[in-house]
Amino acid sequence: MASATASSVSFTSLSSSLRQNQVSHLKKVSVSFGGKSFKPVPLRFRVACAAKPETVEKVCEIVRKQLALPADSAITGESKFASLGADSLDTVEIVMGLEEEFEISVEEESAQSITTVQEAADMIEKLNEKK
Amino acid sequence: MKLHCFDRKFFHSSPSLTPIQLPSPMETHLWYVIPREVKSESLLNKYLDILSPCEKENVFQMRGEEPRKNALLARALVRTTIARYQINSRVSPRSLRFKKNIHGKPELEWQFSDHGLSPSLHFNISHTSSLVTCGVTINSQIGIDVEEKDRTLKHNILSFARRYFSKDEVQYLAAILDPEVQRQEFVKLWTLKEAYVKALGRGFSGAPFKTFTIRYKGVTGGSFNPLEDLNPETLQIVVDSFDDPIELTSNWQFVLLELAGSHYAAICMENNVDIEGERTVPVKLTVWKTIPFLEDECVSGTDAVKRISGLK
Repeated sequence: MASATASSVSFTSLSSSLRQNQVSHLKKVSVSFGGKSFKPVPLRFRVACAAKPETVEKVCEIVRKQLALPADSAITGESKFASLGADSLDTVEIVMGLEEEFEISVEEESAQSITTVQEAADMIEKLNEKK
Repeated sequence: MKLHCFDRKFFHSSPSLTPIQLPSPMETHLWYVIPREVKSESLLNKYLDILSPCEKENVFQMRGEEPRKNALLARALVRTTIARYQINSRVSPRSLRFKKNIHGKPELEWQFSDHGLSPSLHFNISHTSSLVTCGVTINSQIGIDVEEKDRTLKHNILSFARRYFSKDEVQYLAAILDPEVQRQEFVKLWTLKEAYVKALGRGFSGAPFKTFTIRYKGVTGGSFNPLEDLNPETLQIVVDSFDDPIELTSNWQFVLLELAGSHYAAICMENNVDIEGERTVPVKLTVWKTIPFLEDECVSGTDAVKRISGLK
């Protein structure tokens, strides 16, 4: 990633480099096939059986509420809870919020592997299928 | 007692850290940074400079100036803290390598004898949006968790506890009538449980919260109420695990304190020192407030460190 290799990136330019970072990451997701060292390969497989957009949207809402983020803050499937400012207590509360909203029960082992909105939505759909 | 490492002009050319002696067995060193006190951009750039590319990437992934700064301070604190314990001068904060154990717990990757660091150095970090801490021990697994004293839950405390805590812990919390006291006890219990799981190093699913109880115990015997008998000398914290046998759970010692006036801090460490048949040796704790490369202040014995239990 550009921002990681440039050791001369100063702290003041972190905001702009973050935007650049996100844009270049997205570009790589859409064009790369081999995947190389990035996540894009598993992401492509996951797109085929991804959760419904409404589920993702509901998860975003719960996350937004838990972390007290403004309504216009950009949260997508790729958003990591930790990057949005969630600590372990927030994450557990998010999972509890998801359990209440979707009437499911999440084992603690599974809860640990949920780190993004998409992962949460996928797990919800999986648990709903089992019902 | 305030210790200025060096003339402030110095750090522009070669940032240096005050070397510190390794903690002794059953001693914990705790270092903390208050993010809002770190404002200098050139200092933040110095911190960025000692991070690995992977750590920098993680910092950049954080959303917002403050979370990015806190992520940066957390990594800078770990690296600079560990580098202080160097036995010779061949270790710099940037040269440290970290790896994860089989369950994902970060550990120091010790590289042969010329690294100048003790291979038995253990550390653990915890941070909130307003405090970053790093604890260090020798020969003992350690887990630390800090939480803001006035942290609130979005959920009802007892609903949350019923879902995630053990029955005994729910009973303890449910018996507290004052909602504010109940909330404080919840936060303390959360930090203790987190610290235990982090010390075990098995990950959240390795020791699900429901499978163990953390409780107060009076060492003087007889009946006591932890909410009334708040003498830290007699208040002990113990863990009962449904999965692990008793002799294993008595291997873990807890320290609970109020840190910097704003946070509860729980430290859990392995007790593998057997002194004259005593199973539990009081933990010695030394605490420093630091701005790495700039200043260190030993705050043990001041108002910044108010022990609640588990300390001598």
